[in-house]
Amino acid sequence: MPVILEAHDLVKRYPLGEGSVEALRGASLAVAKGEFVAIMGSSGSGKSTMLHLLGGLDRPTSGQVMIDGVNISQLDDEQATLTRRAKTGFVFQFFNLIPTLNVTENVALPFLIAGDSVNQHRVRVDELLELVGLSDKAAHRPDQLSAGEQQRVALARALATEPAILLADEPTGNLDYTTGAEILDLLWDSCDRLGQTIVLVTHDARAAAYADRVLIVRDGVIRDEIVLGRRPDHEARPLIARLAALGL
Amino acid sequence: MRLAALAWRSLAARRLRTTLTVLGIALGVALMTGTLIANQAAGETVRRAAGELFGKAELRVQAFDPAGFTPRAITTLRRLPGVTAAAAVADRRLTVSTLPGPNEHVFNLLVIGVDPADEAQVRTYSLTAGSMLSAGSPRDALVNATWAAQYGLGVGDGLILTGHRIGLEPLRIVGLLDDVGFGSLAQGSVLVVNRDALDAAFQIPSPVTSIDLVVAPGHEADVETALDRDMTEPFIVEKVADAELQLSRAQAGFAGIAFLFALIALAVGAFLVANAQAMSLRERTREIGLLRAAGATRRQVLALFLRQGWTIGLIGSALGVAGGIAIAVLMISFLRSTRAVLVAGLPLNPLSLGLAFAAGLLVTLAASALPALAAARVSPLDALRPSRQPGRSLWQRLRWLLVIELLVVVIGVVLYPLDRGDGLLTTVPLALGVLLAGWLVTAVLLQPIARVIGRPFEWFFGAEGMLGRANIGRDRARTGLTVGALVLALAAIVTLGAVAESARASAQRWVGSIIPGGYAIRLGLAVDIEASKADFEATSGAKAATPIVEFPLVAREATKQTEVSVAGIDPTVYEDAGSLIFVEGTRAVAYQRLRDGGAVLVPQGAAERDGLKVGDVIDLAVPGAKARPFAVAGVIAYTLPARSPDGAFLISLADAADQFGVTRASLWAFVPQDGVTAAAFRAAVDEKAQEYAAEPLSAADLADSLGRSLDRLLGLFDVLALLAVVIAGLGVLNTLAMGVAERRREIAILRSHGMTTGQVQAMVVSEAGIMGAVGGLAAIGTGLLVAWAIVGATSARDFGAGLAIPWPLLISVVLLGTAIAALASIYPARLAAHTSMVGGIQHFE
Repeated sequence: MPVILEAHDLVKRYPLGEGSVEALRGASLAVAKGEFVAIMGSSGSGKSTMLHLLGGLDRPTSGQVMIDGVNISQLDDEQATLTRRAKTGFVFQFFNLIPTLNVTENVALPFLIAGDSVNQHRVRVDELLELVGLSDKAAHRPDQLSAGEQQRVALARALATEPAILLADEPTGNLDYTTGAEILDLLWDSCDRLGQTIVLVTHDARAAAYADRVLIVRDGVIRDEIVLGRRPDHEARPLIARLAALGL
Repeated sequence: MRLAALAWRSLAARRLRTTLTVLGIALGVALMTGTLIANQAAGETVRRAAGELFGKAELRVQAFDPAGFTPRAITTLRRLPGVTAAAAVADRRLTVSTLPGPNEHVFNLLVIGVDPADEAQVRTYSLTAGSMLSAGSPRDALVNATWAAQYGLGVGDGLILTGHRIGLEPLRIVGLLDDVGFGSLAQGSVLVVNRDALDAAFQIPSPVTSIDLVVAPGHEADVETALDRDMTEPFIVEKVADAELQLSRAQAGFAGIAFLFALIALAVGAFLVANAQAMSLRERTREIGLLRAAGATRRQVLALFLRQGWTIGLIGSALGVAGGIAIAVLMISFLRSTRAVLVAGLPLNPLSLGLAFAAGLLVTLAASALPALAAARVSPLDALRPSRQPGRSLWQRLRWLLVIELLVVVIGVVLYPLDRGDGLLTTVPLALGVLLAGWLVTAVLLQPIARVIGRPFEWFFGAEGMLGRANIGRDRARTGLTVGALVLALAAIVTLGAVAESARASAQRWVGSIIPGGYAIRLGLAVDIEASKADFEATSGAKAATPIVEFPLVAREATKQTEVSVAGIDPTVYEDAGSLIFVEGTRAVAYQRLRDGGAVLVPQGAAERDGLKVGDVIDLAVPGAKARPFAVAGVIAYTLPARSPDGAFLISLADAADQFGVTRASLWAFVPQDGVTAAAFRAAVDEKAQEYAAEPLSAADLADSLGRSLDRLLGLFDVLALLAVVIAGLGVLNTLAMGVAERRREIAILRSHGMTTGQVQAMVVSEAGIMGAVGGLAAIGTGLLVAWAIVGATSARDFGAGLAIPWPLLISVVLLGTAIAALASIYPARLAAHTSMVGGIQHFE
């Protein structure tokens, strides 16, 4: 399958006092279309920084990121924003939803941002709500939903524009095990059934076990790669064993 | 639904804040609208008054001699080529009373005698009731409607002219004059009667002091040429525009001050908007980060916030314009009742309403601009970092206020050279500049001041007071700006009080210095000085009785001629009584030079304007006659009020008689002997006044009356300032509510550790109380500084006594500030007390 996301020698330095700290020190990766890749690492390993760079939320100190053939690292803020709008979808750990919009409107947010109205994309929105099992809560506000339901809405929104790539940053970090599993099932389903390319950042091996491939980030570089393949059972033990063998 | 709807959703989700913000702008716009309408009404009334006073007449020819025109001069004027109609006006001040009875009133009125037939050709009288004088009814009279209502008089009631010939029938009121035109003269204390009847009522006919001429179109120049050629008596020509200028000059101060208050209210309202938008940004940083992560551009985020501001501005301005019309009605009604300003009607000029609306909208957008730009700068990463808030230093957050301050200073500097000398163009920006500086300084120094001021609250409230004091320092910029807005509004009250106090003190000083002895009488007709002096000097208890002759001259310089009012005084009596305050020249030398002749004392205002100094020579003359040189012997702080805005130039009685032939006086001052009680002397002067059907005057009464007029007018401004305080109070409410919302977790933890709901409320109230007390104290300093600037910038004639401090008011302002803030804290305190402990502990930034 063609490569849809590439990163070459990504370096990211942050100023710290009189010096600086390197969050990434030359990380590279490639993600094929329709692939589900998990990026794992401990706290401070640079995995979240990598996600920010891959999604165009931040610019690397050096190196480049290509999404669907477009080098987003060279783009100015306006262009990066428009690219992000067209080619990426995000699911965050906390506070994903706009509190003053209802479920339907939150799902349709990318369309609204693009200047369209909800009604122009009603069919698509209804499909997504059906996908995440929230058709009966279309008019609810975020404060009327549980944490799991809110994440499902966030997922539906991230899929709204059929983005080239969906980036999820610890999407189950704020959820209990069962609810988290539901979200991960939905993610996997969208990848397997709809061909959505997904990059998931997590510290949880059970979440990473849903991926086709797991990349291990340590000290700002991708140290290891564990290929799991497409597995409907998402069994985590093989991954855990491989991680243990790597000393993680 | 489109993305733009997020703006309105956000406003609707925070109803209290949105309502307060809209209210703040509405009040500010309402004050501006009310002021614009009232000012326009005043301007239109002045034009109408001048127009009605002149009617169809193009020219008013006024007699130079207080004795008026001779019959020959009247005939000459009527027969000037080009004159199609002429109306002569005679006037004198008379004592008038209602019919004898239990409710008898006595008044001193300006009685105007007119020829009804001539009047009908020249002008139309504005009557609120009844009818015009008729030629066949000599007992007809017209009075001002408002004045008549004050004394329960109406059409059909009778009036008696005191001192008239025996056997005359009383006058009968046939019509009530509107407050413009003749009805506006003498602040409404005017009586219009048939001239023939007035002449017949007394031994001496009333002097014809002016004749209004209707000129055929295109013949104005001919008439003016013929006037110079044919008139043998001195005269002054006045046109409608001159009358309009005189009337409007008297009201200019009111317009400027009213507009300043409207600006203050709008500024405080704008701060409310900026504060609310900044709070909105703080709350929605993560939401904005999310929007940016999802692909919303900076421009779209900017538009969202500006759209919020636009919505607030639209609704607030619309409500404000509607409310402003109501305020205008109240203001105009109040001004009419005080007669401090000539105003009538309610002109709803679309331009004024549009201007106020646009001002409200623009101010709201301007206030929203910085928060909107800050929102646009929020990065998508802010969606991902729970506690990451962009930190800006205090000065970065106060920068916008500093920019506005500098702008006002620049405007003041630009306008300074254009000032006409009345101080208006510079006073408004100067006052605004000082007020804004007070705002800025308060915001910067709030924390150290609050540490000191908060001590009493800590002693009183205990731990709650301590926590309240500590909360002041949480968001220094936000709290500082909120308190600063309160300072702005309270300082306006302090300024008004100090200016009023200073004006009262100056009025006392003024009145006390211009009438030697402090007592005087004003006769309706001037009497011969030589013939009457002995009789006046015989007044019981009088050490001296001195005439003061008043007459107009012209000052000549090359080909230019300016009208000046002159008064002839007895230098010896004035010197002995210690009257007049000299700002230049030695008292003894100046009075001696007056006695020697050929000397003049110049009022300070005129000296400053024309650059006159002791030793300079002014040429004074009766128009058409040879000019006489007068050397400036001194410059005086105060002088007798006169037709000229600067007041009267003073020369000796001897010079008035010898040089200009003035030998009659209608104003006589009385100096009491040592040891005579004030009450006894006053009674003696009143008796003498009654003998001559004259009006008794006392310095104390005049000062009192001036003080009361001032209080009435400034009372209106106090109300405007209070409205601004209310708006500032809304800002306090807003800030406190936001603080409570931010501290939900902290409040929940305090509650979980045993703090009662009452204690939580006390914590919020004490925080508010400290804010208010700091605001009140800072307002004292700021307000006194503004008052000092106004007193310094305004004519010395108005504030010669310098700045007087209204101590009781200063204490009231501190209490008012504390009370307003405490009142504003009631709702936020309740919110805080009802914070759910569980929900609060689970909440985090």
